Amino acid sequence: MRIGSMSLTARVALSAILALVAFLGLTGYALERAFYDSAVRAMQDRLRSHIHAYLSGSDVSVAGELILPEVSPDPRFDIPHSGLYAAVVGGKNRWRSSSAIGLDLPLKTELARNEERFIGPMDTTSGKVYVESMGIAWEVPNGQPLPLTFHVVEDDSHLRGQLQVFRRTLWIWLTIAAVLVVAVLLTALRWSLMPLKRVERDVARIERGSLELLADDYPSELRTLTHSINDFIDSEREQRIRNRHRMGDLAHSLKTPLAVIRNALENPVESAALEGVVAEQVRRMDDIVAYQLSRAGTAGHTTFSAPVAVSGVAEELVGSLEKVHATRNILCEFELSPDACFFGDRGDLMEILGNVLDNAFKWAERRVLLSTRSIKGRRRDGLEIQVEDDGAGIDAVTMERLLQRGVRGDERVEGHGLGLAIVDNLIRDYRGELLVSNSTTLGGACFQLRFPPLN
Amino acid sequence: MRILLVEDEAPLRETLAARLRREGYAVDAAADGEEGLYLGREVPFDVAIIDLGLPKMSGMELITTLREEGARYPVLILTARTSWQDKVEGLKTGADDYLVKPFHVEELLARLNALVRRATGWSKPVLECGPMVLDTTAQTVTVNAKAIDLTSYEYKVLEYLMLHAGELVSKADLTEHIYQQDFDRDSNVLEVFIGRLRRKLDPDGEIKPIETVRGRGYRFAIPRSE
Repeated sequence: MRIGSMSLTARVALSAILALVAFLGLTGYALERAFYDSAVRAMQDRLRSHIHAYLSGSDVSVAGELILPEVSPDPRFDIPHSGLYAAVVGGKNRWRSSSAIGLDLPLKTELARNEERFIGPMDTTSGKVYVESMGIAWEVPNGQPLPLTFHVVEDDSHLRGQLQVFRRTLWIWLTIAAVLVVAVLLTALRWSLMPLKRVERDVARIERGSLELLADDYPSELRTLTHSINDFIDSEREQRIRNRHRMGDLAHSLKTPLAVIRNALENPVESAALEGVVAEQVRRMDDIVAYQLSRAGTAGHTTFSAPVAVSGVAEELVGSLEKVHATRNILCEFELSPDACFFGDRGDLMEILGNVLDNAFKWAERRVLLSTRSIKGRRRDGLEIQVEDDGAGIDAVTMERLLQRGVRGDERVEGHGLGLAIVDNLIRDYRGELLVSNSTTLGGACFQLRFPPLN
Repeated sequence: MRILLVEDEAPLRETLAARLRREGYAVDAAADGEEGLYLGREVPFDVAIIDLGLPKMSGMELITTLREEGARYPVLILTARTSWQDKVEGLKTGADDYLVKPFHVEELLARLNALVRRATGWSKPVLECGPMVLDTTAQTVTVNAKAIDLTSYEYKVLEYLMLHAGELVSKADLTEHIYQQDFDRDSNVLEVFIGRLRRKLDPDGEIKPIETVRGRGYRFAIPRSE
């Protein structure tokens, strides 16, 4: 299995187990180390106390000979090869406990007064041993102090036994802990991933048609995802409905002018009148086709769309419009907020802005002002576009009629009302609104396009 | 005015060419992009009408190529596409105006008129040079507010000279821009027109609007009032 396609459960479980093994391994090692250190320390203490016992029970004769206690501090000193040995060196004294007889042990070192040394583990012919040595100077009445070095040696059999017991207990419990932790972890994992499984199930139900939309009670981390899925489903549904309506709209709207023409043909009138009727209806049909075509070409609201910077589109359009309206010397000013973005199809933005700007250029005397502003939103920022001109402005009656389908604000200016009806519809597709008023700064018309933020 | 018309749809091309000729344009019509390119290279046009959807070479390519090769005359594009994206692209390639099909011929004529004026540096449709006023929309001429009755060819010669007021216009320029391809280019005919124009515009020889630059051509001598 490739790492990339590994399931979430496997990923979490694998990484948790790896972390757990590393953690428990290190813990076990550290505990073992600590236990060993303290066991060795305890052994040193024990060996030292044996030396003290020998010291307290010993004496030195007038001749400078060491007299050791009759009873050994531990019976093991008397049993040959028992694992516990003692020796004293110094001056002409050479003594070994009966347990050490015949063994090759490192018991010849002489230490200075008050010097103490603990060495181990040390390899000898009788195995690994630990050696505690202590140098003293025995006060002899009327004489030089007698230098003596006491050695007590113990092999590691006892320590090994202790360590083995400790190790066994330690690993048994660590393993139990590991199993428990993994079990809890896997259960928690299953529990955490349950909402994802639910999304999967619910999406499958939506596909089958037994569910409309995803519910609203998902954990907060998933809510952004489920909202996006819902938006996506919504917009897809809207698109389907729109497509269905468009064909119907086109066919129906063409029927009226066709009926007028047929009526005029069936009821003989003067040829000049007939010509007028046909010309008028042809113009209407032309408008209808242009309108429906422009609608068919638009993408409409989409849930997932890259932001389109308004400035780029605006510059291209104004460049073109200045060319087309070259003789009128109209100055188009920009007041663009740098973060103003349109979330949707670039062509749609061009269509919206193109129609509104073209309108402004047609009506302006000298100046057109385009300003944009972004509206803060949690999931996606909104956008406000304002196009003003210094033309004659719009009276209240026209303003109302302006946005109705195909109704023209002024018959003399080609495509005026149609363009705005297209814009209004497009903006609605993006769930925005088109507001028409009179400009307070320039005195002409003011078109406000508002696309709401997504929260 | 000499006009290049590139349109693949035969009925539209023919009716449009006929109408433009009636309006006094010398029309060279092409049915596809390659023919359009050939004509566009060879003939010094005053304005071009180019349809965007053309066989052999698209309208956009045709305009780009002509512009790259130095053609300076204004271009009006005809398109069935209504989207702003298409309009902007067309204008960016070097066209100067667009018209969406279907259109009213009057609209087309007004746009052509404006394009030609703009290209020669006139911003208003009424050309004024001192006492002489030529209305390109109504196709009327007045001298000191008195209407002058001109024939169609006389008007065209005067319009061309006034549009290029102050510039030297050779006889070849005049014949090329005013006559159809197959017209008999006898320069005597032109001299006759100029002579008649002078008599009609300036019967008393006071304002001398058209001067002859010997051996090279003519110049409209009254400076522009605009």
